[in-house]
Amino acid sequence: MAITGQIALTVLMGLFLVGVAAWLARVENWRSYTPVGGGATGGETAYGSDEKPAGLIRWLTTVDHKDIGLLYGAFGITAFVVGGLMVMVMRLELFDPEMTLISNTYYNSLLTSHGITMLFLFGTPIIAAFANYFVPLLIGADDMAFPRINAIAFWLLPPGALLIWAGFLPIPGVIPAQTGWTMYTPLSAGVGSGNQANAGVDLMLLGLHLTGVSATMGAINFIATIFTERGENVSWANLDIFSWTILTQSGLILFAFPLLGSAIVMLLLDRNFGTAFFINGGSPILWQHLFWFFGHPEVYILVLPPMGLVSLILPRFSGRRLFGFKFVVYSTLAIGVLSFGVWAHHMFATGIDPRLRSSFMAVSLAIAIPSAVKTFNWITTMWNGRLRLTTPMLFCIGFVQNFIIGGVTGVFLASIPVDLVLHDTYYVVGHFHYIVMGAITFAGMAGLYYWFPVFAGRMYQRRLGKIHFWLWLVGSNITFLAMILLGYGGMPRRYATYLPQFATLHQVATLGALVMFVGGLVWVYNFVVSWLEGPRVEDADPWNLKQSGLRTNEWAWFERKRETALADGGDEEALADGGDPVDEE
Amino acid sequence: MAARTFDRETLLDLVVNAVPLFIMAFFVAAFVLFAPFGFDPLASLLQFGLIVAPFVALLVLTYFSARAITDAERGGPVFLPGQTTPTEARPVEHEAEAEEAGAAASSEPTESGDGDA
Ligand code: HEM
Ligand SMILES: [Cu+2]
Repeated sequence: MAITGQIALTVLMGLFLVGVAAWLARVENWRSYTPVGGGATGGETAYGSDEKPAGLIRWLTTVDHKDIGLLYGAFGITAFVVGGLMVMVMRLELFDPEMTLISNTYYNSLLTSHGITMLFLFGTPIIAAFANYFVPLLIGADDMAFPRINAIAFWLLPPGALLIWAGFLPIPGVIPAQTGWTMYTPLSAGVGSGNQANAGVDLMLLGLHLTGVSATMGAINFIATIFTERGENVSWANLDIFSWTILTQSGLILFAFPLLGSAIVMLLLDRNFGTAFFINGGSPILWQHLFWFFGHPEVYILVLPPMGLVSLILPRFSGRRLFGFKFVVYSTLAIGVLSFGVWAHHMFATGIDPRLRSSFMAVSLAIAIPSAVKTFNWITTMWNGRLRLTTPMLFCIGFVQNFIIGGVTGVFLASIPVDLVLHDTYYVVGHFHYIVMGAITFAGMAGLYYWFPVFAGRMYQRRLGKIHFWLWLVGSNITFLAMILLGYGGMPRRYATYLPQFATLHQVATLGALVMFVGGLVWVYNFVVSWLEGPRVEDADPWNLKQSGLRTNEWAWFERKRETALADGGDEEALADGGDPVDEE
Repeated sequence: MAARTFDRETLLDLVVNAVPLFIMAFFVAAFVLFAPFGFDPLASLLQFGLIVAPFVALLVLTYFSARAITDAERGGPVFLPGQTTPTEARPVEHEAEAEEAGAAASSEPTESGDGDA
């Protein structure tokens, strides 16, 4: 009952805040605010590229959405490499049941950092990279609504990353957090005989807070941009699907991340100033409620834009329009709303009131429908289409395959009796990796390959792209299927050692991870080499979209840009600046 | 929703969100009929509130987004999504024509344009 009482208080508090917001909206005339320092008044947002300084200064001072998109991309990919290397060490440790390569506590540190790095330093930023670069182009805006806020949002990330990784840096007395990415209290509150009262945990929490502020600023910017900066003829009736998903995602960020920030502050207060939110007589379960009220929307924050990428790219290589475009739009919005009503499906095993539990199950089953609808739309789009199995298309198809397995395993977890058996086993790890790696990262790769000609001005090596895809498809399915089987066998998650009976499946999982690692090397090599000396793009429509009537705004922009660059005689950014045309075949 | 507000086409599109609404309504009914854990003023209020709140929120958002999209369709030229600025882009007058455009697009040969052969 204590818990239901708390929930009731939370709901009351929520209603109160909504009331405050409504009241503020009435008394304040927001439109009368004039932005200080400019940048937000319509028409003046286009910071001309001719004003850009050269070299490093350009990147430190840029407010151009495309440059910021590239910065986000470079940051996200760096984090992806860091998080990937961390998990490789962990998988090697898991090759045999005993503690061999690293200590158990170091394993826990890597585990925590891997999760946080991938979700907050790779996932959210890589999506922001695509959104920054392409949403303004897709909706015909000059730039983001608030270019400087855009720059600030990005520049909060590197210090955030440093704080999150601080425990690994050689700072005396500071050790990495070992709380898991969910930071459950009381462990994360630093009580007990463990070492989690260490300042490393505080630094990580502060870093996380910074990335949350960054994401929130970005979200406000995207909402403002998509609502107010749309070009001529771009209406709600023909907004592209990627911008729809970014709009919905930004809405989710706006409601979810500030809550994470508040919870983090409460945890910091508990840790350092003796308050009693979660410990000292407070409720450790309260943390789980607050965390998952953020955490579940967060998983959709991560998956909606990749769904948008696939919905945008997959039809281009199927030779036809996206089947049921509006189904995809409405189901995106439905996911957005419902994702706030399912959080306690992560808490079925905590002993909360069974009546509440069943409600969370009901809404979790309901939210599976919009996801399934999209899957059918993608399949139907490809059905009888003229498929061109380019690298981006392969990654889109891989996305659909992995998303089906990830989604179906999720629906099973949403069922209380099944979850009580599988909770905290490798089954859960398999479920969400099918989605975060198999789907989200695959869609990110589809986007990176698809738009490589736009942002690099050159073409990647196609054969290497396909090798990358197949290594990842095979590797991810080996690893994550093995995890699901481990979970059925009862292997608990978050352990550095295990019983010998699990050895074979763990070795299979490590093998799959090594396959993915090789694929990752191929990808990095391909991108670096192609970026530096790949054949320059000779055609503003490298995917021949014009022919099938499927060319979207960003490619039209690309064509105009190339034409003006040529007319100008070219500048440092010109793509066809007289470089030798290289034959691509 | 009132049939006059949205035409048949739009209502058909909205079916996609009617399904989760139906599932939530189903569970509300089920929990009213079968209450294996009994009733308790606070817990039961929360139990139903937790389903009714997302239900209402989804209904409201679906209505307003459908409103915005329908008004935009009636109020100006409609292009294919994300395809307003290419030189070859033409507005689609209504769905029937859009369907044809889509069909035409998919029947055109594209093999020669395989950028990744
Ligand atoms: C088809 C809809 C989905 C359903 C019904 C679903 C259901 C669930 C459930 C019930 C759990 C808790 C399992 C447990 O801890 O016992 C879970 C865990 C998880 N899911 Fe899903 N899921 C779905 C889709 C997704 C998506 C789209 C993502 C990612 C973008 C995702 C990411 C996660 C993550 C990260 C966890 C583990 C959290 C943790 O404990 O560390 N899920 N899912
Ligand atoms: Cu969840």
